[in-house]
Amino acid sequence: MVDADLAAFVQQCVGIHIGTRNQRLEPNGARALAVRVEHDGAHIVVYLAEVAAKRILPDLQANGRAAVSFGRPIDDRACQIKGTFISLRAAGPQERAEIVAQFESFLTNLEQIGIPRSLAQRWPTWPCMAIRLKVTAVFTQTPGPDAGEPMR
Amino acid sequence: MMTPSLESLATCFQGLLPAQLYTCSRDGIPNAAYLSHVDYVDSSHVALSFQFFNKSHRNIAENRHALVMVPDPDTGQGWQLRLQYVGSETSGPLFDRMSLRIEAIASYCGLKGIFKLRAADIYEVLAVEAVPEEPAAAVGPDFKEDLAATRVPDPVFTLKALQDFSARIQSVDCLEMLVDSILAGLEESFGFKNSMFLVPGEEEGVLVTIATRGYGEKGAGAEVRMGEGIAGVVAEARKPIRISGLMRGMLYALAMHKEASDPALAIHRRRIPLPGHANPESQLGVPLLVRGDLVGVLVLESEVRYRFHEEDKALIELLGSYLAIAIQNIQMHERSADVAAEAPPEPRVNAATASASSNAPREVVYYTSDECILVDGEYLIRSLPAKILWRLLTIRESTGRGEFTNRELRLDKSLNLPEWKDNLESRLLLLRRRLEQKCPDFRIAPRGRGRFTLELACDVVLRMKQ
Repeated sequence: MVDADLAAFVQQCVGIHIGTRNQRLEPNGARALAVRVEHDGAHIVVYLAEVAAKRILPDLQANGRAAVSFGRPIDDRACQIKGTFISLRAAGPQERAEIVAQFESFLTNLEQIGIPRSLAQRWPTWPCMAIRLKVTAVFTQTPGPDAGEPMR
Repeated sequence: MMTPSLESLATCFQGLLPAQLYTCSRDGIPNAAYLSHVDYVDSSHVALSFQFFNKSHRNIAENRHALVMVPDPDTGQGWQLRLQYVGSETSGPLFDRMSLRIEAIASYCGLKGIFKLRAADIYEVLAVEAVPEEPAAAVGPDFKEDLAATRVPDPVFTLKALQDFSARIQSVDCLEMLVDSILAGLEESFGFKNSMFLVPGEEEGVLVTIATRGYGEKGAGAEVRMGEGIAGVVAEARKPIRISGLMRGMLYALAMHKEASDPALAIHRRRIPLPGHANPESQLGVPLLVRGDLVGVLVLESEVRYRFHEEDKALIELLGSYLAIAIQNIQMHERSADVAAEAPPEPRVNAATASASSNAPREVVYYTSDECILVDGEYLIRSLPAKILWRLLTIRESTGRGEFTNRELRLDKSLNLPEWKDNLESRLLLLRRRLEQKCPDFRIAPRGRGRFTLELACDVVLRMKQ
């Protein structure tokens, strides 16, 4: 469901947010640091600072619904992956370099539109949690009339 | 941490950093989407722009709960606002303000009219919470340095600065000095280094730049149509506009344009040929109005992302009314002085003209169909200033006279000036500036009230073409 092109896009230079909702259908959300698209394209792993993961975990455990948005600051190209919660684990030290590299690439992209990277100097990246989702749908979100349309 | 007021989060509402909007459908599917701008409404409400019928909008129609996350561009602290949709506005001051901002940014990208604001969606803010994964940056030397270019400047419209500015304006007695004095005063009293002043042109719906300050290219004579760029949008709406984070806004507009790509829209792709910063992060445009008549448009620019406060906009709007009256008064004053001026001077070639022939002759061609003048094949000016220059040159050629009065131009039937509000002084000013920039061999020099000379540092060959 997530092809190679889209996988390359979401794993580099993008801001990532994960949205959930509680039982009263009130939305919640948190910033994520990185994502890994699994080889089958049908599952993704979203990496969040532990402090961020804690805020949405009750929703994921209660109803499993998630929406992950990806936006690249320099050109506002954006997409959204909907999914259902499968599992949560602590990110391993072998994953840390990739997580930091993806987040740094996002900060570099922000710098290209004039936002200093020092703005995010205290945004935590570790300890980090890995949330595995089964992909259920993919939508384009680049601003415009097609935003929200299923990605073909 | 105490719950902050919305007022204390003012910098979050400038569109400098993208916000994130979370909604949920009635059947429980969450949605996370980018958002270009969250607008402050009052101490308990914000507004989000509704431009497209997207999923977020459909969700809100069936489930009023929303969450928006906005990082503070000054500190890096993220804030989340728990929202409840209360309704939409399709007219009124809030709608106009949001719509004008979108129009101005789209126009700046040459995309005017493509992205319409359908509604300003109003949300009640139920709670404001700090986002723990986005804590504020520690204030260290590096961060201080970065912030120096981005931090919110202090308000600049102090009573003392206003007094200084007013005193400066009171001391001038002609339009040229007044316009220059306004732009210089904006820099020296308030620190606004880059500014431009435009007036309505002869052609309906066109503004002409008559003075600029702080740019390499002077830009006198640069034109902009009503509705184009910040000056054109301000003139059309007759309302002030303040834009921060223009670069982000332009990127957003361009992204939308790519998505909405339509070959028919290609004709809109152009850049406005006005002087200005390559990356004007902040702009403030103010219409100068007297009893509803547009006297001019004042535009201030800055490369700093959040240079102008909302209070600045209100105060400079007030200042704009004062400037508009000052400009109109001085025009009336100059005009009444013209009535008392003497008859046109006797034919004589002035000293500058007499010594003209040391430089190579220049060919001046007046194109009657376009009412424009080219000097040695290079465009100089068009419309009324072109007609005035042509008239002066032909009088000089036929009679040898180099000195003129405003009054004779007003009475000259070939110029066809309107009896009321002819704007002659601003046209002469524009012509003088344009000659200084593009053809310094020709010089219009004031010679007392309502009088001037046309000084030529070369011989001239005049040709008229269709």
